[in-house]
Amino acid sequence: MIVALLILHGLLAVALLGAVTHQALSVWLPARKTASSFVARMRGVTATSYVNAIVVLYALTALLGGIIYPTYRLNVRIVLEQMQLHVPNGAFELKEHFVALGLGMLPAYWYFWRAPEAIEHARARAVLTAILAFIVWWGFLVGHVLNNIRGFDL
Amino acid sequence: MIAARSKPVFVITFAAAYAILYVVSVQYNLALFTYHAATEEFHFLVQPASDGPAMYWYGWLATSALGASAIAALTSWLPSASTKRLWSGLAWSTPLVVMIVFVYILRRYFMQ
Repeated sequence: MIVALLILHGLLAVALLGAVTHQALSVWLPARKTASSFVARMRGVTATSYVNAIVVLYALTALLGGIIYPTYRLNVRIVLEQMQLHVPNGAFELKEHFVALGLGMLPAYWYFWRAPEAIEHARARAVLTAILAFIVWWGFLVGHVLNNIRGFDL
Repeated sequence: MIAARSKPVFVITFAAAYAILYVVSVQYNLALFTYHAATEEFHFLVQPASDGPAMYWYGWLATSALGASAIAALTSWLPSASTKRLWSGLAWSTPLVVMIVFVYILRRYFMQ
């Protein structure tokens, strides 16, 4: 059951990673002309279309992470401490705090993206998107590395 | 129900207050409840580890969310004249600063 939840957590994280990366690129590096290359098409998406998906995916991914967290705490973290793998351990500690802080930013993120034409909130929209993108990338990479260290031997 | 003009005040205050309350909750261990993973038991407020590790993360989230909701609700009820100059950047700058604070708090993991 935990393995299935871990895989689902990973799949949701992949979807979230794609959505928030598309949005962040389209906000910070918008395509100036008709997209012709792969990268230009990545940058040329309509940023507003990702907002609800990002909020739902972030909340669901965090929820699933919270459900499988006790298994990590009992079966993975103890092993990391015994093996003196301080950097992966610390990276996960940062992940849990960053994800928690991201949850607190979601209402503001959602609100500022509801009216994307509001110029006065353009910076808030862009920075909130960038911070969420950083948190998602950090969480994804740390989770991936820890899974490589410990695998599915839960 | 939050009035339309209060929504930006609520979300900005919530984001800022949540980040501050979260780092304070972690630093001073102000968890609203504790989860003992080995025995699968929840306990109100902070309980020390007994049979297996005690998990406070869920409790920190609850403390921060409840506290920030209360602060944001109170702030959004203030007269609009006192909140109209609230900077929307607080919604991102406060969490960003708190993220940097966490990097500093956890630096020992990366310096061993």
